[in-house]
Parts: sequence; C-alpha cells; structure tokens
Amino acid sequence: MVFLDPQTLIDILLIGLSGTLICLAVHFIPVGGAPAAMAQATGIGTGTVELAAGSGLVGLITSSYMYAYEPNASMPLVMAAGALGAAVMLASTMLAGGLIYAYGVAVPFASAQVKKDPITGERQDIYVSKGTQGQGIPTICFVSGVVGSALGGAGGGLIYFVLMQYYSPLISTSAAAVAGVFTMGVFYVNSVIPSYGVGGTIEGVHDPKFRRVVPKDVFTSIVVSMLCGIVAILIAGGMS
Amino acid sequence: MSEIKEISPNNLVLFGLIGGLIGVYLSPTLPIAGALGAICAVIWGADAVRRVAKYGLGTGVPSIGQIALGMGIIAAMFGLAIMKSQPLAGPVVAVITASVIGFVIGWFAQNVIKMKIPVMIRCMTEIAASGAIIILGYSAAVAGNYDFVNNLIPLVFDNGVILFIFWVGAVAMLHPFNACLGPDERQKRMLYLAGSTGASTMAIVGLAAIMTLGASGAITMLLGIVLWLIFYKKFWDEVYNDAASVVGTGLIPKTEA
Amino acid sequence: MVLDLTMSMAILALLGALATIAGCLEDLESDVGSQSNPNSQVQLAPQMGLLHRIFNKAISGEPISNGMSAVTGGTVAAVLLNAKFYPLTAIVIGSFIAAILYGIYATTAYAGRVASQSRFKQPLYMDIMRYTTPSIIGHNFIVNFCLVTIAYIQYAVLGYPFSIPFLALIWGISVGAIGSSVGDVHYGGEREFQNREFGCGLNTALSGRIVRKAESGLRNSIDNVWFCAKFGGPATGIGLGLTVFFSSWPTTIWGYTWTAMGVGVIILVVMIIMNRLVEINVKKAYGPYKEDKEEKEAGAVAHTH
Repeated sequence: MVFLDPQTLIDILLIGLSGTLICLAVHFIPVGGAPAAMAQATGIGTGTVELAAGSGLVGLITSSYMYAYEPNASMPLVMAAGALGAAVMLASTMLAGGLIYAYGVAVPFASAQVKKDPITGERQDIYVSKGTQGQGIPTICFVSGVVGSALGGAGGGLIYFVLMQYYSPLISTSAAAVAGVFTMGVFYVNSVIPSYGVGGTIEGVHDPKFRRVVPKDVFTSIVVSMLCGIVAILIAGGMS
Repeated sequence: MSEIKEISPNNLVLFGLIGGLIGVYLSPTLPIAGALGAICAVIWGADAVRRVAKYGLGTGVPSIGQIALGMGIIAAMFGLAIMKSQPLAGPVVAVITASVIGFVIGWFAQNVIKMKIPVMIRCMTEIAASGAIIILGYSAAVAGNYDFVNNLIPLVFDNGVILFIFWVGAVAMLHPFNACLGPDERQKRMLYLAGSTGASTMAIVGLAAIMTLGASGAITMLLGIVLWLIFYKKFWDEVYNDAASVVGTGLIPKTEA
Repeated sequence: MVLDLTMSMAILALLGALATIAGCLEDLESDVGSQSNPNSQVQLAPQMGLLHRIFNKAISGEPISNGMSAVTGGTVAAVLLNAKFYPLTAIVIGSFIAAILYGIYATTAYAGRVASQSRFKQPLYMDIMRYTTPSIIGHNFIVNFCLVTIAYIQYAVLGYPFSIPFLALIWGISVGAIGSSVGDVHYGGEREFQNREFGCGLNTALSGRIVRKAESGLRNSIDNVWFCAKFGGPATGIGLGLTVFFSSWPTTIWGYTWTAMGVGVIILVVMIIMNRLVEINVKKAYGPYKEDKEEKEAGAVAHTH
C-alpha cells in the first residue's frame, strides 16, 4: 500500500481521466430527452444517462474481449476497441432513429441552437417546425454523437485496462468480473452527474449549453472519479 | 390531502440502517437475514428517492437509482476489501464510505452543478448508504457471508449474480416512487410497493442461492415469494383505496374538456 | 478467436439475427405497454382532461427495465446451467421467469400511476390490465430469449471474459437504449398524434392531446403495437442488429489490430454519409416550414419556450 509510488499515482490519474472521458461523452451525445421522442427537440429521443451508458458498455464488451485474447494489447488499442464498439452502437442508433424521423414522422432534420450547420453549412432555422426546439439528427449532431460515444467507450476501456493490471495478478480468473463491475459503477456515477448538469437535454458540441456546463461537470467528474480510483486501488490492497 | 400521516424520514433512516445492518451481520449464521435486511434498505432507499425526486431532477427518477447503486457497489467492495483483517467492521465501513461518496456527489450537485434542491445532499447520502446495504444484504444472502475475497468473489462476482443484485436492486429502489409518480402519490402505497419489489428481488436471490448454498436458498426463495404476495396484496388494497375508480371495463367517463 | 473464419462469421451472423429480433420485439413491447418518453404524453393526458384507455407502463426508462429482465433471465439461466440443464431449456426457463417478473412490475406501474392521478378521475380499467399484461410478458419473453442466447453464445462459444448475466445486462441496456431512441419516436411522434397532418411537426402546445379513439371504438395499447410493428419495431431491430454485427465484424476479420480499427472508422464514416443523404433527401422532399406558414395546425398557438 504505497500511495506515493509514481505508478500508483499515474493509475489514479488515469482512472480520473477515464471518468472524465465518460463525463465528456455525455455532453457530446445529442440527446433530446422526452421531447425528442415526440419530434419536439433535436437529438436522440431518450435519456442522457442510458444512451451514454448503453454505448459505453458495448464498448466495454469489445475492449474486454480484446484484452482477454490479445494479452499484449497496448493501452491505446484497448481504448480504441472500446471507442469503436461504442461509436458503432451510437451511429447505428442515430441512423435508424433518423429513418424514423425522416419517414415515420416526416420531419426534416433541423437544429434549433444554430442557424447554420457548422459542417454542411445548411440553413437550420427555416426547417424547425412551429412550436418545437428542432427535430431529428442533423449532421453536426450525428458527428458530435459519434465522437462523444467514442470518448465514452475509450474511457470505459481505459478503466477496465487499468483495473485489470491491478486485479489480474491477485485474483487471476475473477479479475474480469470485479473490474467489469467496478467499471460499470464508475460508468453510472459519471454519466448521471453530467446529466444533472445538462438538465437532461443537450444537442452536442455546438450547443451553447456545452460551453456553459462542461467546465463544472468535468471538475465534478474528475474529483469523483479520482476518489473512485483511490478506492479501486485500495480494494486491490485488500485482495492480496 | 395534507392530513395524511406520513412516516417521518428519520424513522425510515433508522429502520433501514439498523434493520439492514442487523440483517447483514446475521447473514453468516442465517443467510436469509441478509435478504431481509436488504428489503429494509430498499424501503428506506425508496423513501429517500421519493423525497429528492419530488423536486424533479431533469432526467427522470431512474437515474438516481442508478447512481445510488453505482456508488453503493463501489463502496461495498471497498468497505469489505479494506477491512480484511477486521471483517466485522467491513459492512459499517462500507456504509460510511457510501455515505461519504454520496455526500461528496450531493455537495457537488448542489454547489457546483447548482441543482438547487434543498434535500439533495442529505438524500444523496441516504441513497448511497441504502444502496450499499442493498448490495451487501443480497450478496450476503447469496454467498452466505460477507467475506469479500473468500466468499463474495467466487460465489457472487464470478457467476455474475452481482450484476443481478446491482441492477435489480437499483430498480427495486427506484421503481416504487417512479411507479406511483403523480399528484396523488401517497407514501403508504409507495412503501408497500417498495416492500413488494424488494421481496420479489429476494425471491430471485433465493433462486441464485440454491446454486451457491444449496437447500437454504430454497427457504430464502419461498419466503421471498410469500413476502412478495403479502406486500403486493397490500399495494393493491391501497390502489383500490386511492384510485378514482376501479372498473372492469367501460367507456371513458365524460369530463369537461 | 478460437474458431476459424467461416465459423466465426456464421456465429456473428446468428448474433446479428438474434439481435434484430430482440430489437424489434423490444420496441413493440414498449409500445404495447406504453413506456419511456412517449408515455409522458399518456401520463399528461388525464391532466388535460383527456381520460384514456391506454396502459401506463412506467417501470422506468427502457434501458433499465430491459436490463432488469435480461439480467434476471441471465441469472436464472446461469443457475440452471450450473444445475446441468440443457442450455436451451435453461435459457427458456430463465427468460420466462424474467418475463413474469417484468409483467408484475408492469402491473404495479399501471396501477400505481393511475391511482396517483385520482384527482383527474382517470379510472383504472381492469380489462386493459388483464389483456395487455400477457402481451407485455409475451413480447418481453422473446426479447429475453434472444438476449440471453446472445450472452450464452458469447460466453460459452466465443469465450468472452464476462459471465452470462453481465453480458445479458449490457445487451439489455443497449436494446433499451436503442429501442427508446428509435422505435419510440414512431409511437410518440406519430401514433399518439395521428390525427394531426402527417409531417406537420408537433407543436409543444399539443402535449398531452393524444389520440384516444381507434379505427373502431376506443384505442388501447394493443392498437398501438399494430401500427408500430410496421415501421418503428423493424427499424429498432435494424439498429441493434447493426450494432451487434458491426461492433465485432472488423475484429473478427482483421483481428485485434489497428487495421480493424481503421475499418471501423470507415464504417462510421459511411454511416455519417448515409445519415447526411437521408437529411438531404427529406429536406428536399418536405421543404422548409417557414415558407408555408399558413399550414393549419388545428388552431395550435405558437408556444414560446
């Protein structure tokens, strides 16, 4: 239990970083909450927490599988595997969701927060239907969502990687279960906190809310995640 | 409406905390007690959820149950692992750790994220603590003990039962208030529902305990089913009492709109 | 990794197919019970004086409720597998027990929510309870069966490091997240407000004013499934199927290398382009709203936010 060992400190920082990545992910993913399910707000029609967690945990599956079968996989590769799984999940969701907005509800995609889509440069405001906050998933939201879920998946992969380094030597075969459960706990803590920050809805990186809430949410998340990191490493001390 | 007497939060805190810890501490001799303790904590947690979620969190009720068990599971693992040499202190340390994490998150939610919910800090602390007891109680009922390395890891973590406890424990805690949400929500009905969700979780925990502990698990399962029937019946009695009308079928009544 | 390429592709295809079925049925299950975000309208309707005969399955968000049923199914299946049951029997019994538990939660949610609306005089219809709950259980059983089977295959055949309940839980959360993002829009955005002009957009002033009459008689939740099964459900299925398939396809072919990651990025870019094409297509087809201001929106007042 040497706390001042530089390696331990780096690992605590890494867990703090991964929690922060998850927290950031929530801000990138365009979530419209309940109004979006009625095509009354831009973004995906569900809650922030579950979307971030749902995509991030798919990333956890892919990264854990890689960790199990590629023993010499490097940390960036495990993170990339997590990012890939999560981003594919969210991209599929947004694509299928877009089809419903386009052909099931028949509304053009439009963001209410910006006048022009920063990527395609297309006018948004004239496509916003009366009495709503935009609808559907315009390109900027889609890209922002893909980037965000990739961050979340990478964060999940990173915690898992760090924890496995600790637990594998101590409890060889059970390490995956313990590390997985712990990752999930950190995931939920870190995706609920920013959800309270954004108040349930955010359009993505271009939303003015993004700049307003990111600093304080990230600060909260760093503190809480590093607390979790210290706890995780102390748990390893209890296993030996 | 305000004439209805409610059980005070402090009494429920004591009920959940003491009942839960007694249950956890009895579990090495009587695994079933762990599950009963967890039901006490579910009832307490449900009431804490009710108090904070009344303010409207912006993301719905369920998120708070998720964060509760997220904090709870981290704290439970920590408390039990760190107190390896003093196993008796484990559950208490777990609950204290959970309270600290809950307090920190509640403080940040209130002062940094600025949610402006007066009961946020207190309820977050309570919710985290009850989450930790839920995890400890049900896990002990499955593993027959609360020894982290020797019992919980092989008997609860390896086979994945912990995920069931983590997730369904969270739903058991958040569902009662979520299911009764509305302007005419009543504490009594919600508490009976909390008993019912806790007991149905106990039944499945008992089923899992058959795998790990053998026959004693069957008792946990049967008692869980019996308790569930009692609470479920009580819940329905309250529904018949509170609902505007309960009809077999019929047209929509005429209203002024 | 333990299988040759043909076999692992076959397994991957099977997983994708199971996921597609699970996704589709999950969305239909959420429509039959009226869950998640569109349910906020069902919840709101009595407050607007519009009483209805629609189920109110407020278990929680779909990811949580489906995670719950999937992890229960996975746990029971794991217990039975441990007791040397045949895998198929174990999965079926596990899914069934989970579906029953889910049905119980559904009844408490309907009864609880309606009882908490007594001041709006919303009656609790026991016939709705009786014939909607078995339908919920039935749909949920199929979802559980598919998800636990996916978890079993990943655990027993592919050798994932997590246990069956863990994998089932993660897929349950994912299916719920996708179902509430994709299929629910069809239910919430179109079916609940079907009396409005198609494509008119949904003014927030209309909140709670859901359709309460069916093609014949009063609408109930079973009528909603019938509608959503035409588009919302299948689209959800495609969403989860794509997720399961493409999250492992690159690594199945190219192994755990940066090449596989590069292929994954290409898949993502293709999806972004496809979404852009849909966007261009609908904007061209429907045109902007501002130009046809005189669109009659049933007297809806512009609602300022």
